Amino acid sequence: MYPINDQQITYILDDIRRRGIRMESLQESLLDHVCSLIEQNCKEGDDFEAFYATVIKEFYKKELREIEEETLLLIASKKDVNMKKAMVLSGAFSVAAFITGSTAKILQAPLAFPALVLGFLTIAFLFLPLLFIIKFREQGAGRDKLLWALGILVGILYCLSMLALFTHFRNKAMIWHITLAISFFVLIPVYFFTGIRNPEKRMTTIVVSVLMVAITGIQFSLTALHPPVTDKQPSAVQNAPLPGKTRPLVNDRGKPVFVKYQ
Amino acid sequence: MTYSSELIKGTLKTIVLKLLADNKRMYGYEITQRVKVLTLGKIQITEGSLYPTLHALEQEGWVSTETEYIGKRVRKYYSLSPAGKTKTKERVKEFSEFMDTMVFLLGIKPKTS
Repeated sequence: MYPINDQQITYILDDIRRRGIRMESLQESLLDHVCSLIEQNCKEGDDFEAFYATVIKEFYKKELREIEEETLLLIASKKDVNMKKAMVLSGAFSVAAFITGSTAKILQAPLAFPALVLGFLTIAFLFLPLLFIIKFREQGAGRDKLLWALGILVGILYCLSMLALFTHFRNKAMIWHITLAISFFVLIPVYFFTGIRNPEKRMTTIVVSVLMVAITGIQFSLTALHPPVTDKQPSAVQNAPLPGKTRPLVNDRGKPVFVKYQ
Repeated sequence: MTYSSELIKGTLKTIVLKLLADNKRMYGYEITQRVKVLTLGKIQITEGSLYPTLHALEQEGWVSTETEYIGKRVRKYYSLSPAGKTKTKERVKEFSEFMDTMVFLLGIKPKTS
């Protein structure tokens, strides 16, 4: 067994670092591996540096840092799996919250408000940001990353707009109009001009763009062109008998009388 | 004959897990040497694939580590965690079924001794 000394250990460690291994745990593992190889295979009197140079070459194909790159890739892919699980769970939770909240709202149960608010918050601040991180890592081209960033931003703004409407937030109309404006003037043009250049995606891009314009247009005409809900008179006021307003026909007992037209 | 690295790559985790199940704790160099001896040199695990695999197994929580100083250097020993023990059984079973399928698919006649 070759007796390896501290000076040689320092030499190996420095070389491993110089070759681009930055992870401390990997440096230690490789150092111990190289030392073990030298101890077992080198003979006393052999040239240590020459032997080390031969040994270290067998660790890689092109460069030693390939090992660190592979390690980081494997660890990152595991992190991605966990992140995807968290994204799916948060999505499922927000769906459950929306269903619970809507059902409670129909039944006029007390859980409606907190469930719906929780649903909006989960989707805006957990599901969509996680989706953004995953997609940002997956997408290669900068243009695709920009498109995903815009899409997620608009998605979050939509959720916040709905939350503002639902909670009767003071600037709800402004948030809603900003969302629609970004969607119509930024997201849709960027999506269209990015996709139209790709022959494989051309038809899908046209169809999806038309649908996006139609949906945004419908939302705009339903909300911005229609008188706001707050401007309407309450139903009690609307139904109150006004001077000069035609009263419904009633009999002596106060029940409505139906007139049959011939 | 040494098996190609492509063939070994998909089974490396299973090999490491099974070795750790059979031996209480092992370090990197020891794993490569044990595999070499057990397979009569037919499977040679490279350092470039062993350490990323060990780090991934540690990240997944299937192996736990303990370190010992040998002079100036640190030696990392790997052993199976409780989750790793369950995973090893699953992996070995899965691989056994995979081999049966491959034997059937490729029409390989089992060797009779």
